[in-house]
Amino acid sequence: MPAKPALLATLLAAVLALAAAPAPARAQETSHFPARANEIDTLTIHAAADIAAMKPLIEGFQERHPNWGVRYVEYVTNDLVVAATRACETGKVLGDVLLSSAVDHLVKLANDGCARALRSDAGRALPHWANWRDEVFGFTFEPAVIAYNYDAVPPGDVPRTRVELAELLRSKEDFYRGRIGTYDPRRSGIGYLLTISDARQTSAYGRLIESFGRARAVVHCCTSDLLDELERGRLLIGYNLLGSYAYARIKAGARLRIVLPRDYTVVLSRGAMIPALAHRPALASAFVEFILSNEGQRISRERAFFFSIDGASPADVDGPSSIISAGLFRPITIGPSLLAVYDEARRTRFLAEWTRSVVTVPARD
Amino acid sequence: MKTRDPSLFTRLAVTIALVLAVGAAGLTSLAWYSARTAADEAYDRLLVGAVLQIAEALTVQNGEVTVDLPISAFEMLALSDRDRIFYRLTGPKGELLTGYPDLPVPASGGERRDRPVVSDGVFRDVPVRIASVGRSFAGADVQGWAQVVVAQTREARFSLARDLTLNATGLVLIMSGIAFGGVIFALRYSLKPLTRIETALTQRDPQDLTPLSLETPREIRALVGSINHFMSRLGERMELMQRFIADAAHQIRTPLTALSGQVDLLAHEADAVRQRRHLERVQARTKQLGRLANQLLSHAMVVHRKESVPFERIDLAKVARLALRNTLPASLNPDIVTSFEAPPGPLLIHGDRVSLREAISNILDNAVQHGAVARLGIVLSRQGTSARLEVHDDGPGIPRSQWALVTQRFAKDPSGRRSGGLGLAIASEVAATHQGQLSFLERDEKGFIVALSFPLADPEEDP
Repeated sequence: MPAKPALLATLLAAVLALAAAPAPARAQETSHFPARANEIDTLTIHAAADIAAMKPLIEGFQERHPNWGVRYVEYVTNDLVVAATRACETGKVLGDVLLSSAVDHLVKLANDGCARALRSDAGRALPHWANWRDEVFGFTFEPAVIAYNYDAVPPGDVPRTRVELAELLRSKEDFYRGRIGTYDPRRSGIGYLLTISDARQTSAYGRLIESFGRARAVVHCCTSDLLDELERGRLLIGYNLLGSYAYARIKAGARLRIVLPRDYTVVLSRGAMIPALAHRPALASAFVEFILSNEGQRISRERAFFFSIDGASPADVDGPSSIISAGLFRPITIGPSLLAVYDEARRTRFLAEWTRSVVTVPARD
Repeated sequence: MKTRDPSLFTRLAVTIALVLAVGAAGLTSLAWYSARTAADEAYDRLLVGAVLQIAEALTVQNGEVTVDLPISAFEMLALSDRDRIFYRLTGPKGELLTGYPDLPVPASGGERRDRPVVSDGVFRDVPVRIASVGRSFAGADVQGWAQVVVAQTREARFSLARDLTLNATGLVLIMSGIAFGGVIFALRYSLKPLTRIETALTQRDPQDLTPLSLETPREIRALVGSINHFMSRLGERMELMQRFIADAAHQIRTPLTALSGQVDLLAHEADAVRQRRHLERVQARTKQLGRLANQLLSHAMVVHRKESVPFERIDLAKVARLALRNTLPASLNPDIVTSFEAPPGPLLIHGDRVSLREAISNILDNAVQHGAVARLGIVLSRQGTSARLEVHDDGPGIPRSQWALVTQRFAKDPSGRRSGGLGLAIASEVAATHQGQLSFLERDEKGFIVALSFPLADPEEDP
């Protein structure tokens, strides 16, 4: 068979590439949540999600199950999927629960048969876009928003749609040059997901990134970095920030405001998955069921993510009270179409294009 | 518990239930098969569409084939929302562009590699449906075939096929249920006439042997006919018996009355000579009465055996010799010479030994009682396909005008000479049950002849 040597070569190349890949650059951070009473067992969560946001949920879970400790290992999104894939392929165990905001990673893992199904009422109650095969569950509702510093942005400038944003950057290019920020999709899984959703949703995408390029938009890996800059006033407008993080800052007194874009609002749901080889599937199921339960969702809404899965927004957000009923809702559906998003070839091409438009802007004039 | 007698209703119901069950199982398998085909057809369209769309997205850039995986193709596949998707794209040199390197490639469709091929397969221990299509590049820098392979697990197909099958099975079950209900109803309805016959028979007066007059369906008219036929035969038999009993009673009562009168006379008679004469009469009457009783019993026995004893192959000559030997000592008048003539070898006929002996004895007895003076003989012969037995005597014989009469029971002989004899009637009846005949021959120099003839048994036949 002529195809065989080629296939072997490809495989070999892949293996070499994996082996040659540098070990996860950032060390994983491990946090312990000891059991409230006598510890019987410890649940291990491997996550690519801010521990600060997850903490209230973990504590809520331990209130329910006081004898269980929780070990929380935090990764950067890409490291998590690499580690999980390798564990799955070699039959090793990586934690009892995986959490990731880059749900395409979890979908890829589930597609490769690395997930364990959890059939529960809570899972069934989820909207269709937030549950794939009872294996990957979306447990948050996080709109991508525009946030601005209201001390620095004149009220008349506040953009409510992407077209308005592009228009603003064109008309007041000098004022906003270098003072608008967005996710760096090359370094952040969420950023990639949000940007590719934009590319698919709007015809204004080309115009938007072109205007970002011209305005020398600042890109950061993470929402929190962008928010820091916004708070300090170094950035005026942030685009495609996670609404939950932005709202948390506002609650903490930052002089920021949130706009839910009126043309459409992309909504991302953080994913939870139980690995097929989890050591403590019962504990893992209990945890996932808890974060999907009414109790878990209440904690999410009140203390962690502020937007609830039924679409309701907090009162002081500039936008409709429910983006679902306003028809602006564009969820990132957790399902096999994320496989195309995850595809390495596609990612490379897409990011190259993005980089060309936003970062390496040809010198003007 | 005692096992129940097989019921016609249960038998039919069980048979039909079995047929329905087998039919339902067959239909269900058929439904499953066609539902699977239908599900495959439906989802194959999506799969082929996705493969073509991805192949369409292959482009050449900087002398290399690259692909921008169309998300819409995956969204199309995501319509079967629980299914996992595996794909593999290879360039013209067989190099992996993207996807799963270990995904098997289905056999290509021969000449036309640009025509999508769909087949079943297994990937990572999961049954999948695999579609593949080639796309040819013939540019300056890239030549050859790129290939797109997309595999999808079968869950949606399976659940669609299962739903379709369940629906069909539901219909089949409902239909079978209705059919079975209908059958039960029809059975009860059509078996009702049998119950009616049963009721009619049980409620009947035991003396009532008139035919049943019931409205019955064509199919059991024969049964009712048989019952009626049986009852009419029974009725005839009973009538015959009653008549026989009446006749017998009459026959016995007359000599008894006479006997009683003789005994009375004997009791009051003082004169010794007359007393002696009365005594002789009493003796004669008693003898006559005894003979009559014997004949009645003999007749009853012959009639009984006719109904109940199977025929066997017997030698008529042997039976006749025995009958002659048994009969004569009882009634023999020492003046009578007896003779027995038989052809060599046995005269085999089908018959009942006892009845035949009874018949022959009765003929002999009759001859002795009423005719023979000095000579009595039996002559046996073969005549074509029948055996013939003749009883000769030198008595006065029976006048031709009486022949028909003497074979009837208790026929009155106007001459009074042979009144009330049953003997020839018995013989005639035995002859008839043996498909034979009783006949008389006119008196000639050999004397008077009573003849019995029977069909010979087939000598070839096993005994």
